[in-house]
Amino acid sequence: MKRRQWLHMGCAVCASLAAGGLLAQGDLDYAPPERLARPDAASDEGGLWAMMDREEKNLRRSGLLLRDEQLNRYIQSLACSLAGEHCGDIRVYLVRTPQFNASMAPNGSMQIWSGLLLRVANEAQLAAVIGHEVGHYLQRHSLARLRDIRDKAALGQVLGLFGIAGLVGQVALNATAFAYQRDHEREADRIGAVLMHRAGYSVEESAKVWDGMLQEMRARDGDGATVSPLFATHPPTPERRDSLSAIAALLPGGSAGTESYLTRVSPFLDDWCEDEVKRHQFSESVALFSRLMVASPVAGLMQCYRAEAYRLRGADGDDERALSDYRLATRDGAPLAKAYRGIGLIERQRHRNSEAAQAFRRYLELSPGAPDAGLIRSYLESA
Amino acid sequence: MKYLIVMVAVVVLAGCGSVRKVETGTNKVGERFSMQLEGPWNHVDFPGIKPGQLWTMEGITVDELIIYAGIKDGQVMHPDNAAQTKKQNVVFRRDMPTEKIVSMFESVMTRDDSVFKLLRIEPSSFAGRKGFLFEFERIRRNDNLRQLGFGYGAVDDGELFALVYVAPALTFFPRHQARVEAIAHSALISPPVGAAAPVAILPPPVRVSIGMPGQRLPAVSTAARAVAIPEPK
Repeated sequence: MKRRQWLHMGCAVCASLAAGGLLAQGDLDYAPPERLARPDAASDEGGLWAMMDREEKNLRRSGLLLRDEQLNRYIQSLACSLAGEHCGDIRVYLVRTPQFNASMAPNGSMQIWSGLLLRVANEAQLAAVIGHEVGHYLQRHSLARLRDIRDKAALGQVLGLFGIAGLVGQVALNATAFAYQRDHEREADRIGAVLMHRAGYSVEESAKVWDGMLQEMRARDGDGATVSPLFATHPPTPERRDSLSAIAALLPGGSAGTESYLTRVSPFLDDWCEDEVKRHQFSESVALFSRLMVASPVAGLMQCYRAEAYRLRGADGDDERALSDYRLATRDGAPLAKAYRGIGLIERQRHRNSEAAQAFRRYLELSPGAPDAGLIRSYLESA
Repeated sequence: MKYLIVMVAVVVLAGCGSVRKVETGTNKVGERFSMQLEGPWNHVDFPGIKPGQLWTMEGITVDELIIYAGIKDGQVMHPDNAAQTKKQNVVFRRDMPTEKIVSMFESVMTRDDSVFKLLRIEPSSFAGRKGFLFEFERIRRNDNLRQLGFGYGAVDDGELFALVYVAPALTFFPRHQARVEAIAHSALISPPVGAAAPVAILPPPVRVSIGMPGQRLPAVSTAARAVAIPEPK
């Protein structure tokens, strides 16, 4: 067994022990604090809130916001089911950005990126992330981090007076700041799990979010870690997955809410998938679409976008893989214009003009006003 | 102390980038690409812009004309810090069809998580060759600015030649669109050293503009607005 595998196994064992230990300490009986009052403007917390208020004002005007009323109402109500009496203080903003991310400001403004909405498979998985962010809010983690950094900055200045030894001390001090942040993430994961359990969601789904992320990371990096564990802002993904699995064993039951989630997000999946492919990180996209294809009512669309990722990556054998996916996506005549376009483009490159022309004609029938209609028509004319 | 900090910042920034004036008239970019300017531009050079060359009228946070003069097979477009992020770089291949070249530009322009919407892509003559044009809308991530842009490109002897212009949709894009179109129409790719001249030079493209609906494009002025920048010594 390789050293890294030993390390991963060790992490998993530690995470399981930690999660088991939490129940013993009664940490899964989490009681949220009372509603947070607006802090005094002259305090450090008041300053932090004022800064975040300005950010939120800018965000409200952003062209990147997803403004669909129904989708916003749906996700806001999901956040409310987790936040309980804090619901009125938490404002969710959906941002069109193809990365997996959500963030919470201390003033109650939460951002959820479309890359995250694409990656979660059901309400429970989304609830896990929102619950985690609500956990940060309830425990006022931003303020604690601000104060920690301020205190450590002062100590760092003093250490700087002691030459090389001081420099080593400063590095160690930085590492403790990151460790402090990782502890907050662990606590937020735990609170998120408790909140989603109370709202009736399956905690088991929360571990699947991180399992999915791990698959994408492996597609990108192999087994190599890209961030030093000392200076990472979040705990390692395998640790988060394993500790959430352990918590799920202690908080059984609950629903996933797959159908209701997919019904609400389906109208937007095409745009989000397109944004994902534009990232040009094709191996990650292939891993993502492969995962989303499994037993999903949107399997055809995901298969079509996996084909897009293969076609654009263009590695050995990718054209065959793409063609196979495009054809499966359009079986039974499914009107997926992009798939016909893809078939046409690959067949054209292979000089199979008749097959290319047939696919292009179908594409233009389905999507006569497509931005690339002019280009495709020129290909048809020259076929 | 403040004065010292400003001085240090100026010295550091001076090492990072440089600006020089591009004169009116015929300008050659790279070995085989030339174009006519009806007014001066600012050429800004800083790390990360290669293999493109960046020109601007208003400043790089406002408008950008990026010129690609002979990108070779296998060449990376604006290399990312791949060693740290393990991100796949965007690489040009000589056998790329038009749609893949435009997809490559899309990726470059969304690297900062900006949102890119392709408005049109079609064949077009460019620099005397069979090429393509594309038009797009972009919402820039860091300031939510809505931009409009277009690009022309052609592959000659396995090398990519292209111009991509992007500017804020309000005021600046309409202000400079016709000027950039004129540059694109004047562009010329010369044959590689030792090769015969092309059989036919295609006429410059004629196209409908993507200016805002009902908007009249400004006439190309010879008194182009260039940012006041001291002459290089």
